[in-house]
Amino acid sequence: MKVSKSIYLFFIPGAILYAIFFLYPALSAFYYSVTNWDGISPSYAFVGFENYVRAFTGDSIFMKAIGNNLKFLLFVVVFQTIVALVFAMILRKNSKINVFWRALFFFPTILSSVSVAFVWSFIYDPNLGLLNAGLEAVGLGQLQQGWLGDESAAIFALAFTQVWFHAGQMLIIFVAGLHAIPNDLYEVANIEGATRWQTFRKVTWPLLAPSATIVIAYTTIQSFKAFDLVFAMTRGGPNYSTEIIATYIYEVGFRSYSFGYASAISVIFMAIIALITFLQFKALRSGRVNY
Amino acid sequence: MKSRLRKYIGSFGLISMLTVAGCAGSGSSGGETASSGDTTTGEDVTQISFIHWRGEDVDAFEKIISDFESANQSVQVEMNTYPSEQYQSNAQQMLRSGSVGDVFAVFPGSQFEIMKKAGLMADLTEEAFVSNFEETPIEVGQVDGKQYALPYQMVFNMPVYNKDLIEAAGFDEIPQSWEGFLAMAKALDEKGIAPIAIPAADIGVGQFMNSMVMNNSEDGIFEKLGAGEASLTDEWWVKTLTQIKELLDLGYFQDNPLGTQQDAAMALVARGEAAMLATGSYHMSSLKELNPELSLDLLAPITVSEDQKRYDGIHTATFMLAVNENSEKKEAAKAFIDYLSQPEVASYYANETGQHLTVKDVTYEDESLQNTAYWLSEKETRFQPRYMITNAQVEKAVLSSIENVLGGASPEEAAAEAQKIVEENLQ
Amino acid sequence: MVKKGALLLYGFLIIIPMLMVILTSMKTLQQTFDNPLGIPASGLQFSNYIDIFIEQTMVGYFANSVIVTLCSVFFALLFASMIAFGISRIHGWVGGVLFAVFSLGMIVPAQVIMVPLYSLVLQLELTDSLFGLIIVNVAVTMPIAIFILTGFMKTLPKELFEASMIDGAGNWKIFTKMVVPMSLPSMSATAIFLFVINWNDLLYPLLFITDNAYKTLPLALLDFQGQYATNYPMLFTGVIISSLPMVLVYIFLQRYFVAGMMAGAVKG
Repeated sequence: MKVSKSIYLFFIPGAILYAIFFLYPALSAFYYSVTNWDGISPSYAFVGFENYVRAFTGDSIFMKAIGNNLKFLLFVVVFQTIVALVFAMILRKNSKINVFWRALFFFPTILSSVSVAFVWSFIYDPNLGLLNAGLEAVGLGQLQQGWLGDESAAIFALAFTQVWFHAGQMLIIFVAGLHAIPNDLYEVANIEGATRWQTFRKVTWPLLAPSATIVIAYTTIQSFKAFDLVFAMTRGGPNYSTEIIATYIYEVGFRSYSFGYASAISVIFMAIIALITFLQFKALRSGRVNY
Repeated sequence: MKSRLRKYIGSFGLISMLTVAGCAGSGSSGGETASSGDTTTGEDVTQISFIHWRGEDVDAFEKIISDFESANQSVQVEMNTYPSEQYQSNAQQMLRSGSVGDVFAVFPGSQFEIMKKAGLMADLTEEAFVSNFEETPIEVGQVDGKQYALPYQMVFNMPVYNKDLIEAAGFDEIPQSWEGFLAMAKALDEKGIAPIAIPAADIGVGQFMNSMVMNNSEDGIFEKLGAGEASLTDEWWVKTLTQIKELLDLGYFQDNPLGTQQDAAMALVARGEAAMLATGSYHMSSLKELNPELSLDLLAPITVSEDQKRYDGIHTATFMLAVNENSEKKEAAKAFIDYLSQPEVASYYANETGQHLTVKDVTYEDESLQNTAYWLSEKETRFQPRYMITNAQVEKAVLSSIENVLGGASPEEAAAEAQKIVEENLQ
Repeated sequence: MVKKGALLLYGFLIIIPMLMVILTSMKTLQQTFDNPLGIPASGLQFSNYIDIFIEQTMVGYFANSVIVTLCSVFFALLFASMIAFGISRIHGWVGGVLFAVFSLGMIVPAQVIMVPLYSLVLQLELTDSLFGLIIVNVAVTMPIAIFILTGFMKTLPKELFEASMIDGAGNWKIFTKMVVPMSLPSMSATAIFLFVINWNDLLYPLLFITDNAYKTLPLALLDFQGQYATNYPMLFTGVIISSLPMVLVYIFLQRYFVAGMMAGAVKG
């Protein structure tokens, strides 16, 4: 049965707001990316693709930021997905105690990123912090680090905070996905004498693919946009070791007032996010077909 | 079809109008409950907005503003404070409209440059109150002989030290050479005291670099760097990095400098576990609050031999006051700056906040201000070199090379990496 | 046993920082430095809380945050559910394209739209107004709401709609009488999502609000950072006060929330 054309009226109020306050500014980024606007002055000139050329050939910090961002992304996607999946499987049943655990694990998600940044900066503080004191207390003093002050550890310390912050959210999505798997499949697996790992490989994981897609895509987007946390905790330092693309855009656009160049980086950034999300969807889709 | 269409629009319109009215209505009432009390604008009252980044000065400014309002019934001041990071990035955006920041504070260096370029600062050259300020320190707010901003605070960004600890280590006089400085640090270290506490996680690097580079480089070196006529791989910067590395390798900084934030570093000094705090004079009053027993003064490490020494320390004229060129209330804005430049008002501010000022005839009652006032008159100080870097990315590269060294890199490597970034940003 | 151990371990990982925040908020800065983790001999005190309420106009910031959050969530939910319904009813590539256009909003970093958006809001004279903040919030949070709700609405049984259409019901009637009631679980889930985002949003208030009368809580919290530098006791007191409403909302809506999240994610 044909849906009446009046369905398009449902788009009007939202689309107007979206177009004016989101699409227009977002498209302006494309426009400014071929200018040398500083973000403030009334006048600017067109420079063609100069900004893009500079981003790819003459900007070692941008390349470093992409690398840092990929490290961060990889750590968060792997650990957050594993943590969320493992606990979702443990807490699958809707018992009272499980609902409590899920609520507890979800709790960090409702805090603001500024709050989380304050809290974890304090935990990582090498002189006052909980972490080094805790390691000392349990006899693991040799693992003490400067954490956020250590060039090689800082990005992972931030990634760990990100996992702490958002894993609970992903856990809930996985629990929902697990509930959608019919119980009789497990019974069959049980009768056939499948090991736990086989059951997971052959039943749980394939049927969990839709939830996994959402979790991984959303985690990816969040990792790229983790600006607040990184900015509030390290501002990209020490020595650029935690500079990610989002903080670098801010640096370039709002600290050195190269808004045109910042826009060009933003456009590349959007392309990177779109590409990675697309590849993930494809990989997970094809994974699903095989089963 | 038409009537149905009208119905859709009608019902949607009704709902949204109701809710919008609800939101807008409660919005303004929310505004009233939240207002700090003085927003009722009478007939002949001009309300000006004053924006700055010094949250720690809010109490002092509130008192000054209320006195100012009693003295000038026709002007009211609304003050807004932002964290300095946000202020550096957002202030120029907010000022563009002219509705905010009739009076505003501006950082010397890259922010002043961009504000000048964007024409945001009104020319104050002809104003009578300019003569209330000391002449030399306010040069930093001038371009081509015109005064666009008036620096208000006078800061010595060089290490603050605990006099008792240094004396106990056997140094009645502060050493005037690099060998002497190292000997002093060694003596402190042997007594189990960290010679230098540097909060390199936040402000430490940007502060400490000034005293370390002041005698190693000629004047105007960072202008040359910006013009491509000098390089970070040259002797002046490599030597500076090498000396920082020397301090690190000898264990003269506290543990984990790159992970230490300013409050933690201050705590070390306040508790007598470290002798020097590598920040600046603005922390003296906070240190005294943490430990009133402390006896404090300022020193800069002299990085050359005594006969090559040209400067004793670093000064910065900071917190520059400016009037928004786009403002429609420039006269009221200027009246406020005029008020701030009165000696009694400035003295109140100086003593309340523990700052030296660029205003003439200020009376310092605060003990640590008095004790260090000799730096204003008797010592040869260099204007903070870091503020001569007008490109924010270049500044970041310079500071990062120090972080790199503190992280264990060799000075030559760190300098070369940073120089590469500098060159990328100068094209 | 291993399971229990893992649960306890992760539970501690969440509870300990929380306890630390609460504990620190009841100490002085000096006590924190002397012993960051212990309880001072002189006992804990609530003076930080009193200071914050007396010195800061907390009540006003609270009111602003509540107004902005409630209105933003309401409108974003209303518009997004209408659009999600539209997308779920339009078949073929048109629906797909519309879905893509609206989802695009999720991947664009906020730093990209900051300057153009600021100029726009300025021209429309919507700075220093809660209304301006609400409009922008609605526009930028709609994409995520549309993303979640579309997934859910696609799972609603089409046969029901077909039947009502034969009975002569228009789209509006189907939407209000059938889709909205059936979507309540996923809408409450989306609502919490939006609550969290709007309540904690810092960037837009930072850009658009300078007048103290219109500041929201996160912006006030940032002021603390300026005012108290790294005075953790004060900062943590601010963290607790500004998080409290979200914690309450969460406790009350938790049931719907979990149910809704599940409903949305099942079919993905």
